[in-house]
Amino acid sequence: MTLVTSRPAPGDARPYAFPAVRRISAHGGTVIAAHLPGQILASAVLLLDAGAARETDGREGTATVLAKSMEEGTRKRDSAAYALALEGLGAELAPSVDWDAFRVGVSAPGPLLAGAVRLAAEAARTPKLDPADVARVRDDEVTALRMDWAQPGPRADAALRGDLFGADGRYSRPLHGDPTSVAAVTVEDVLAFHEAWLLRPGVLLVAGDLDGLDLNALAEAAFEGTSGEPLEPAGPLGVVLPDRRRTILVDRPGSVQSTLRLGHRAPERATPDYVPMTLAATVLGGAFTSRLNHLIREVKGYTYGIRGSYAMTRRSGRFEVAAGVQTAVTAPAIRDTLGEIARTEAEGVTEAELEVARSWRAGQLSVEMQTPGAIAGALATLVVHGLPDDYYETLRREYLEATVEQVSRAAADHLSTDRLTLVVEGDGTVIRDELAEFGDLADAEV
Amino acid sequence: MTSPIAPVATTGYPWPIETTRLANGLRVVVSEDRTAPVVCVNLWYDVGSRHEPPGQTGFAHLFEHLMFEGSQHVKKTEHMKLVQGNGGSLNATTNPDRTNYFETMPSEHLELALWLEADRMGGLVPALTQETLDNQREVVKNERRQRYENVPYGDAWLRLLPLLYPQGHPYHHATIGSMEDLNAADLDTFKAFHQQYYAPNNAVLTVVGDTTAAEVFALAEKYFGAIATVPDIPPAPDGTLPTPAPEPAREEVTAAVPAPRIYLSHRTYPFGTKGYDTMTVLATVLGNGRGSRLYQRLADGARIAQPDYIGAYGVDLAHAPAPLIVTATAKDGVSLETLEAGLSDVMRSLIDEPVTDDELNRAKALLTTAWWRQVSTAGGRADTLGRYATQFGDPAAAAERLSQWLAVTAEDLTAAAKEVLRPESRVTLTYLPGEPS
Repeated sequence: MTLVTSRPAPGDARPYAFPAVRRISAHGGTVIAAHLPGQILASAVLLLDAGAARETDGREGTATVLAKSMEEGTRKRDSAAYALALEGLGAELAPSVDWDAFRVGVSAPGPLLAGAVRLAAEAARTPKLDPADVARVRDDEVTALRMDWAQPGPRADAALRGDLFGADGRYSRPLHGDPTSVAAVTVEDVLAFHEAWLLRPGVLLVAGDLDGLDLNALAEAAFEGTSGEPLEPAGPLGVVLPDRRRTILVDRPGSVQSTLRLGHRAPERATPDYVPMTLAATVLGGAFTSRLNHLIREVKGYTYGIRGSYAMTRRSGRFEVAAGVQTAVTAPAIRDTLGEIARTEAEGVTEAELEVARSWRAGQLSVEMQTPGAIAGALATLVVHGLPDDYYETLRREYLEATVEQVSRAAADHLSTDRLTLVVEGDGTVIRDELAEFGDLADAEV
Repeated sequence: MTSPIAPVATTGYPWPIETTRLANGLRVVVSEDRTAPVVCVNLWYDVGSRHEPPGQTGFAHLFEHLMFEGSQHVKKTEHMKLVQGNGGSLNATTNPDRTNYFETMPSEHLELALWLEADRMGGLVPALTQETLDNQREVVKNERRQRYENVPYGDAWLRLLPLLYPQGHPYHHATIGSMEDLNAADLDTFKAFHQQYYAPNNAVLTVVGDTTAAEVFALAEKYFGAIATVPDIPPAPDGTLPTPAPEPAREEVTAAVPAPRIYLSHRTYPFGTKGYDTMTVLATVLGNGRGSRLYQRLADGARIAQPDYIGAYGVDLAHAPAPLIVTATAKDGVSLETLEAGLSDVMRSLIDEPVTDDELNRAKALLTTAWWRQVSTAGGRADTLGRYATQFGDPAAAAERLSQWLAVTAEDLTAAAKEVLRPESRVTLTYLPGEPS
């Protein structure tokens, strides 16, 4: 006997279906729930239209300070009692802020979810927000950001964002602010943000075995005491590209790798090109066998990994390539990376590459959506971007039906190699001179 | 409220488990679950960095990389392309104990995944080339730079291990290895490594999800049945060590870090023992969550530690006393000495102040959620069953872990703290911001 020499053919595929979605309107808000029969854990996310984009200029990080202040006690109990009550259910509060939304999530065994949602809502709707506590949390957040910014990456991210969105106010600053902007956040800023944006009902997302969950009771817990109408979304920021490529150096003395962040602006999430753009980025830098990862990691050995992607929010979008490369090969790695972006822009993708990208993206809709947390996240995408309940079935079909022509056209339309901003965070004494070949070089102000 | 899905303390694994063993020694574990149209294929090889002789640190992990670079019937780059190109997610990890490989696929591609795994178990050596080794050596060196060298405190684990485990102990060195040893790696060593350890009788194949045991058993025979048994696989060096350690150890580092930080560590018991279950609960009481003693007393309370960087956890190693690690980072203006004194007080409190019912219930509730999260995916379940089959000879033993945690009493915790957490057996690693000396 020997090894089987030929690759087996696939069996019969089961039809894809996103979990059944139930919606109820009760107690002034909407619950959107996905049924996962047999799941022991359940997740709930209170989704509020209170993203970082609602922060005041110069006070970037206000929403994050609020998120971290919510567990410092509520009108009903102090912080120690709150922690004991919530963790006694096996749940932990997961507040988070992105450009479009403020989320307060909890996960627990199904029968304990209602209690966890009640406590999550208590923290979100009626936090104590004692001025001394808020000021301390703010100071701790400044320290935490300094810790974070000591790692490679955050300063490069800030430099790229500042360059791409320089004329777009809040979008030109980091999602969670920087140490300076957070230090400027006042107690009044935090109280005002809470008052303005966290007392509207929002939407409660639930994922779990719905046979054991009372959605009406969850609605009551989530929406009690709230008021206000849904907010009108603001329009897209548009795609503005510079007239030529530029390079920004972020000095990190002694760094043994150079952190690369190469990017330019792109359309927002609602673009009709979302599917072909995603597939083009998958071929260029999304899959393990992508052009970038193949050349820069698997052929050249310059990096542990390199990724290229579009990130799109309700109002903005950007294309970005991110990698850490050994300091000594910084210029060759950038050269090769630009070469692959340019080749994709000019020549598009091949059928063989696209076939991998299509099947991978479609398969991921099953493979990466097994847990209540992942399904709740998928529901949030529907709400934030106004998509229908059968969206994931449609998305899967669109991935599988995308043609080489469509994806190549998206690459040509939404990649612009000559107008990239190249941010390089590394040891300036070693790499500065060699960066000259890539266009105007400036030093970052971060 | 009663519910059909109420968590059951009597079993942590309420799904079927079926097992068989092929004639060549490959153990096969199957757990059917038709809920989602996905299936996970997972292989545990009972070889890790604990098997590496001096001068070959990092080899087990570098070898793991070579497993993705093609085999007898799978061309270079084809493995990743076939898995992702059929909708799957895949990865592999190496730790001191073992190496695992896994892919979750849409279930119609089960047979493909088994074929790929069999081909690299039985047919890797003919495909190994110097070019591939040289390339992946550079990739791994960049992994080392990215994860350990280029981030503040990134080398803490590399420093803790030699303080916890003596020279020559299988856990003395870190899995990532040294740059020097990686540079010296030669092709013949890796061919021999594969022939020695990547044997059907040194592996467990676990399949979880949208399939049946009968189907998997037949496919396992079809694809893996031809692979020859390797006789007399040498065991790793013996890891037996006394708990607690007979003396303390200390290292003080000055480096480009943003704030003073402390790691305290103790050798405890091997993963899978009652002693380690007690340590798991104790670590949760001590340092998991805002209700933990460390958070309540040092981040809240005395306010000397940064709230985002305080915690305690065990590292689940099974072949020697596993470490408990406690860490805290100083708030602005707080000295290392103040922070260390605070940490020591909280550690001592586990001996002096009995754990209350509220503290114990909180810890058990968090561990219950963590357990169900771990087994909430086909991939998580497969890896869990593979671990218990490999390390304890019985995948069904996984079902007992949760109830064993829930059986731990406050008295158990106090007794374990007395035994294990004494300063005389403590490893202390400190970081101070400054120019490296």
